[in-house]
Amino acid sequence: MDHVTNIDAVQRPISQANGLPNAHYIDPAIFDEEKHALLFSGWAGLGVAADIPDVGDAVPVTFLGMPLLMVRDKSGAVRVFQNTCRHRGMILVEEPRKIEGAIRCPYHSWCYSTDGKLVSTPHVGGPGQNTHDGIDRALLGLFEIRAHVWMDVIWINVSGDAPAFEIANADLMARWADFDKPLFHGGADSTFQLEINCNWKLAVENYCESYHLPWVHPGLNSYSRLEDHYHIEKPDTYAGQGTLVYRQLAGENGEVFPDFADISDKWDTAAEYITAFPNVLLGVHRDHTFAIVLVPEGPEKTVENIHLYYATDDTDKAMRAKNTRQWKEVFSEDVFVVEGMQRGRHGPKFDGGRFSPAMDGPTHLFHAWVAARVAQHRATKHAAE
Amino acid sequence: MIKLDAQLLAAHAAHDGNALVTLYAQAADNAPDTDSACFYLTHAYVFALELGHADTDTLRARLVKHGREPSD
Repeated sequence: MDHVTNIDAVQRPISQANGLPNAHYIDPAIFDEEKHALLFSGWAGLGVAADIPDVGDAVPVTFLGMPLLMVRDKSGAVRVFQNTCRHRGMILVEEPRKIEGAIRCPYHSWCYSTDGKLVSTPHVGGPGQNTHDGIDRALLGLFEIRAHVWMDVIWINVSGDAPAFEIANADLMARWADFDKPLFHGGADSTFQLEINCNWKLAVENYCESYHLPWVHPGLNSYSRLEDHYHIEKPDTYAGQGTLVYRQLAGENGEVFPDFADISDKWDTAAEYITAFPNVLLGVHRDHTFAIVLVPEGPEKTVENIHLYYATDDTDKAMRAKNTRQWKEVFSEDVFVVEGMQRGRHGPKFDGGRFSPAMDGPTHLFHAWVAARVAQHRATKHAAE
Repeated sequence: MIKLDAQLLAAHAAHDGNALVTLYAQAADNAPDTDSACFYLTHAYVFALELGHADTDTLRARLVKHGREPSD
């Protein structure tokens, strides 16, 4: 397979464009290229702050093959480290747990504080000698990955050179300023995981557009018709869709979740669903939000970690469970589509497909972003060579 | 000392950090010389550090006194 794909056709105007070539969904070499061009170079979603709610909580995660550790440090700040000891490269934390004092490497017991400082190097200068001139603890703290929390999502910039999160995502943060307030994770009944046999980008593409709703989610037709939706398009940053007829979930006696405080009247009936490039799918409503962090596990495998949030910390458990069930049903309805598109991309004559100029704008915008970032990555690499 | 060794092995097997702090500190107190004492103190200190144990600062101060940990 040719590992340098032709992506020029992707960036044509939508009425003439083709989608990304098959290799961008099935070729391990392109997956690796996109890892750097799309996921490491910007702000990618890793997890949620609710994964580490209390001081000392530590959760190891593998992100694109990289062992990472999410930690709530002693000051309450969220930090992300490479989960690797600076001594002999041992994995530091194998399972989620509470760090009571320091992170102790299980191999030779070098210890790190929760803010990543190397605080102990036992016997490094010989038995009972815990210092050595050749070992400067100040230079041997854990490798920290740039991290930022917004909408409770932990975003990381692995390359370390992206613009600050608030600059890179200024437009989206302004658009959703109404929701920039405490979000209360619903707890264990408000999170679930879907393992899907598709490339992560297909989950993005499907999420961005409303075109499929009447066919794949026919239950929505009764109150949320295709014409009630609008495109959301911000080149190079995000894409998605909104609805003008959001209807709140109601309990048996007509009870609803409380609204977020001081939000615009727009949200009385509107809801929006946006992918913050590259891999975080977000949804906002007057009474709840959700975040879906896509974890690419290979060219043809993706894990979706889904979390639901509310305006208060005392929402009704049965109502939350009902809401979770409802969303799980909707997201599960999409699985056959993204897995079908994945299998379809093994058809060698498929040319990336065409877009509906009227309906596929957000999806094309995502493709164009991918193509531009990949092209930029190739140019930079070529110049370096 | 044989009894202490057995207790230490049991504490390691049980991953009982608090016991390890206490027992290694005890081993340090019983050690015949400073080097041996600092070996055991180091273990007591490391397990205390891991746990956020109340004796962490005291154990560290003992190691600093013998030049086995930096003073700052």
